[in-house]
Amino acid sequence: MNRTLLSIRELSVRYSTPDGIVPAVNDFSLDLQAGECVGIVGESGAGKSQSFLAVMGLLPGNATVGGTATLGSESLLGCGIDALNRLRGARIAMIFQDPMTSLTPHMRVGEQIAESLVLHKGLSQTDAMARALDLLQQVQVTDARRRLHQYPHELSGGMRQRVMIAVALACDPEVLIADEPTTALDVTVQAQILSLLAELKRERRMGLVLVTHDLGVVAGVADRVLVMYGGRVVESGAVGEMLVSPRHPYTRALLRSMPRIDDDRTAPLTAIPGQPPSPAKLPSGCAFHPRCAGADAACRDQLPAMLEGRTRAACHHPEGAS
Amino acid sequence: MLRYALRRLLGVIPTLFAIITLSFFVIRIAPGGPFDDEQTLPPEIKANLEAAYGLDQPLHVQYGRYLAGLVRGDFGPSFKFKDFSVTELIAQGLPISLTLGLSAILVALLIGVPLGSLAALRQNRPTDHSIMAVAVLGIALPSFVVGPLLALTFGLHLRWLPVAGWESGQWRYLVLPVITLALPVIAYIARLTRGSLLEVLRSNFVRTARSKGLSERAILWRHALRPAMLPVVSYLGPATAFVITGSLVVETVFGLPGSGRYLVQGAINRDYTLVMGMIVVYGSVTLLFNLIADLLYGWLDPRVRYD
Repeated sequence: MNRTLLSIRELSVRYSTPDGIVPAVNDFSLDLQAGECVGIVGESGAGKSQSFLAVMGLLPGNATVGGTATLGSESLLGCGIDALNRLRGARIAMIFQDPMTSLTPHMRVGEQIAESLVLHKGLSQTDAMARALDLLQQVQVTDARRRLHQYPHELSGGMRQRVMIAVALACDPEVLIADEPTTALDVTVQAQILSLLAELKRERRMGLVLVTHDLGVVAGVADRVLVMYGGRVVESGAVGEMLVSPRHPYTRALLRSMPRIDDDRTAPLTAIPGQPPSPAKLPSGCAFHPRCAGADAACRDQLPAMLEGRTRAACHHPEGAS
Repeated sequence: MLRYALRRLLGVIPTLFAIITLSFFVIRIAPGGPFDDEQTLPPEIKANLEAAYGLDQPLHVQYGRYLAGLVRGDFGPSFKFKDFSVTELIAQGLPISLTLGLSAILVALLIGVPLGSLAALRQNRPTDHSIMAVAVLGIALPSFVVGPLLALTFGLHLRWLPVAGWESGQWRYLVLPVITLALPVIAYIARLTRGSLLEVLRSNFVRTARSKGLSERAILWRHALRPAMLPVVSYLGPATAFVITGSLVVETVFGLPGSGRYLVQGAINRDYTLVMGMIVVYGSVTLLFNLIADLLYGWLDPRVRYD
């Protein structure tokens, strides 16, 4: 029953800047199945958003993308803008981090949802608006009939993110990429949006990619987790394994830095020492080695290979290897 | 929206009043008067003249009389153009200046916005660089240089258009003046459009529009162009005022009987009523176009609320 919707192979993103070529993403691969949610976790600059903006063809002009990404039998990379425009918005859609600025300010909410229906499904404006109303109700926008004719600035942040989801879902995409969909929202609204996404995924058997820096978000919704650091995937596995017994020291450190409700409240949280590396100045070998307690000469010199195990971890000394 | 427009229109009155009051007294501070000519008039005649025009009254009485006249729509008699009232002089010249100025603004918009958009869409490519180079030239070249050059080329050498002059109802006489007047505005609008469109094209909502699979053309027309016009519209108010008031040079170069010359001649001659009349008219035009720009703003961006 498993059907691969989106397949990304050895994706790389490089920026040409005045200071030279800056690698943002290296060797990123992912297979997304129907009805599956994959969480992509990492700090700022780890390359998680970049990978999926690349897949959607939304990177700025000075970015070069390598590798392949296919949606079913269609190639997303290097297929030309017209072919890409037939896919994005129709079969693969994306919602963004900042609902406050991601909707066009001078267009009514309904028009913005209807737009892709007219474009991809050939609906008339009237039918598209009727469908837009339907979609607003599906994403649980209250008073949807009135909202349809409002401008984005008349809605709250949570409402706008629901509208963004309605825009993305308009043409029934197979794959939905949610790039930090809840970062800009209040905690209670975060939970609502996440459960909405999980529900929609289940109903439509969509593939859902959830890009976030919040392990808590991933824990509630994702089936699988990829942890990124310095533009690479450092560990991946089923959400249970990843959250309970991760093997990569970075994932372990991330978990230790999160407060838990059942913890001893007096014990200090363990921060990861140092700063995440800038893509322009990645450390040699394993990019995490300057911040890793267990690093040795091998970590400094050699890029670790992916080791299979309970989880797949790119580490010279993964936990539970020996 | 209509209530807002009316309220703003009423709000113009105090501003206009301030302009009138300030100009009235500032002009009187300038040395000399309307009857101090090269040949000095005998004191009795001068006194008679001043009495006839009410200039012998204390300043605040003159001011009061002037305001009372204005309220009735009477700008008073001209001191120098003896057989004309200021209203008549303005009525002669203003239609030409307004036609010239408004045509220049229209031409500037119709050419400047597409040029700027084209430059933005071809950012850092030869098209962009050439448009921007020409734009800098357009801003840098003063109209007293451009005007005669155009007259020379299209009037004298090619003989396509009249070199100068005016026959009412003949648009051919307006072509070169309008182009001359519009050139710097075209250049400025093109630069504004380019800059602001580039910014809008990098914005999050354009990224959303791209992720929907819209073509670049649809993105430009439906999503990007309207917000990109905001800086252009804010410039439009002052630009219209500049073009209508600043048409003096162009009117002189092309020998058009517009109203620009009345302001200058009036000021030199201490023709108090004429200068005041021109200031009231130009002030109103400036305020009106700023108001129109503000109202357009609200149409372009619904976040600007009028209530």
